[in-house]
Amino acid sequence: MKRVFVYAAAAIALVVALAPVYWLVTISLKREIDQFAYPPQWIGFTATLEHYVEAFSGGSFATYFLNSVILAASSTVAALLIGVPAAYGLARFEWPGNWSANIGDWILSTRMLPPIVTIVPLFLMLRQVHLLNSLLGLALVYTAFNLPFVVWMMRSFFEEVPKEIEEAARLDGETRLGALLRIVLPLVRPGLAATAVFCLIVAWNEFLFALILTQTETAMTLPVGIASQVTQYEIRWGAMSAAGVVAMLPVLVFATAAQRYLVRGLSLGAVKG
Amino acid sequence: MPALLVLFALSLYPLIFAARVSLTNSAGTFTLANFARLFQDRVFAVAAAQTLIFTAVALTIEFALGLGLALLIESLARGRVLFRAGLLVPMLLPPVVAAVAWRLIYNPQFGLLNGTLRQFGVNTSQLTWTSGESSALISVILVDIWEWTPFLFLLLSAGLQAIPLEPLEAARIDGAGPWQVFRDVILPLLKPTILLALLLRAMDLVRIFDQIFILTQGGPGTATETASLYIYRTAFRFSNFGYAAAMSFVLLAATMLFSRGLARLVRVR
Repeated sequence: MKRVFVYAAAAIALVVALAPVYWLVTISLKREIDQFAYPPQWIGFTATLEHYVEAFSGGSFATYFLNSVILAASSTVAALLIGVPAAYGLARFEWPGNWSANIGDWILSTRMLPPIVTIVPLFLMLRQVHLLNSLLGLALVYTAFNLPFVVWMMRSFFEEVPKEIEEAARLDGETRLGALLRIVLPLVRPGLAATAVFCLIVAWNEFLFALILTQTETAMTLPVGIASQVTQYEIRWGAMSAAGVVAMLPVLVFATAAQRYLVRGLSLGAVKG
Repeated sequence: MPALLVLFALSLYPLIFAARVSLTNSAGTFTLANFARLFQDRVFAVAAAQTLIFTAVALTIEFALGLGLALLIESLARGRVLFRAGLLVPMLLPPVVAAVAWRLIYNPQFGLLNGTLRQFGVNTSQLTWTSGESSALISVILVDIWEWTPFLFLLLSAGLQAIPLEPLEAARIDGAGPWQVFRDVILPLLKPTILLALLLRAMDLVRIFDQIFILTQGGPGTATETASLYIYRTAFRFSNFGYAAAMSFVLLAATMLFSRGLARLVRVR
């Protein structure tokens, strides 16, 4: 009896968690007359892909989607290129006094910084150098905000690799760089992949910076594009839900792939709300 | 290290820049007017109070639910992986998409919520959710609870899995009931995880922006105005960067005080 109750409670929680998402998906697949029919249609409605076609064929959402892809990919690669060597340095080299710990604390403290605090000066700075409404400007910002996380996360993976493996390689004639590239990096590859996935998710989901730093049609990201639809007087719910579904699918796929490291990633500052 | 330089350029330098903007007037001379204005601004007071309410209420409920769910799911004999994966979905969605989904639910005329309630014979003419002056704040808090309880659930259940079995069994053999085991064994062992989870969530709650921006834009009136939204509006709708920068310093100070305080509170218990 108790077991039935426990499973029932878990099932209710699951339904509550998933129902809004399911509803969004159904709206994106319904014909306009069915979308807000009474009583609400959970199943058995006539499915159509017209909203997906409307949103993405030649429409502005195709541009937003492409922008989001470019941004997420480029800022992730950049953050890894700068952050991984830094993480290795923090994990391996001798630092005078408390340097390592202090640098670590500082990196973590950047996470406490509410983004709205840095956005005003960033906006003014980027305006001065004419990088507003450009993907490059936003990519720089995303790189910078993913960097502390990359350093923090990769350091924890580097520290899990025993020093002896590296020392043995160097006795065999490898340089430090050679040992890092050929011995250590392959060992931390799953961690590296997980770190990259979290960077992608953060850049993909980010809204506030994109909203403020890109205000032209050609530079908008997917979340900003969706938001600009919501605030209009007449909302095209079908196209917007379709765009929403397309925006959430990659995240879910990526998160599933990196599930093993989700807890570590979240503890170290990935995925912000 | 190049990483440190980039970090400096994007964390400390903006702060210095913001300090300059907030302390000078349009002619470039030193002034405290932006900070003085804070004390007379009713909207800022409302936004600050609502941010605090939002954070406190959402954090409390998300923690209670998250811990409950973690205990519940971890006690299941089968299907744990499935439940865990499903429960995490809300947190992973782009916040903008989650908020769009809730607009489809909350809409008083054609939303799913009122539609379903009507099916069960409830009179929904008074249920305006995010568009009602008095119900808007609680409605956006509900969305946050839906979206971020999974975060606390995930961290807490990872903490639970890391608890060694021996002390639990020892306590049971000594005749401790489930509540006693929870209070005297599980809770103390889980404390570091609880602290971390609360801290991370609290820092994100104080800065809440995306969901409210989509759901209500801070309205109706100022019913869901929060610090981040008000700073956004001041800077980017009214182009008053100096005042916005001054407010962001207050928000920064509050965030740091709040997380310090929370850290101490949890440590004392």
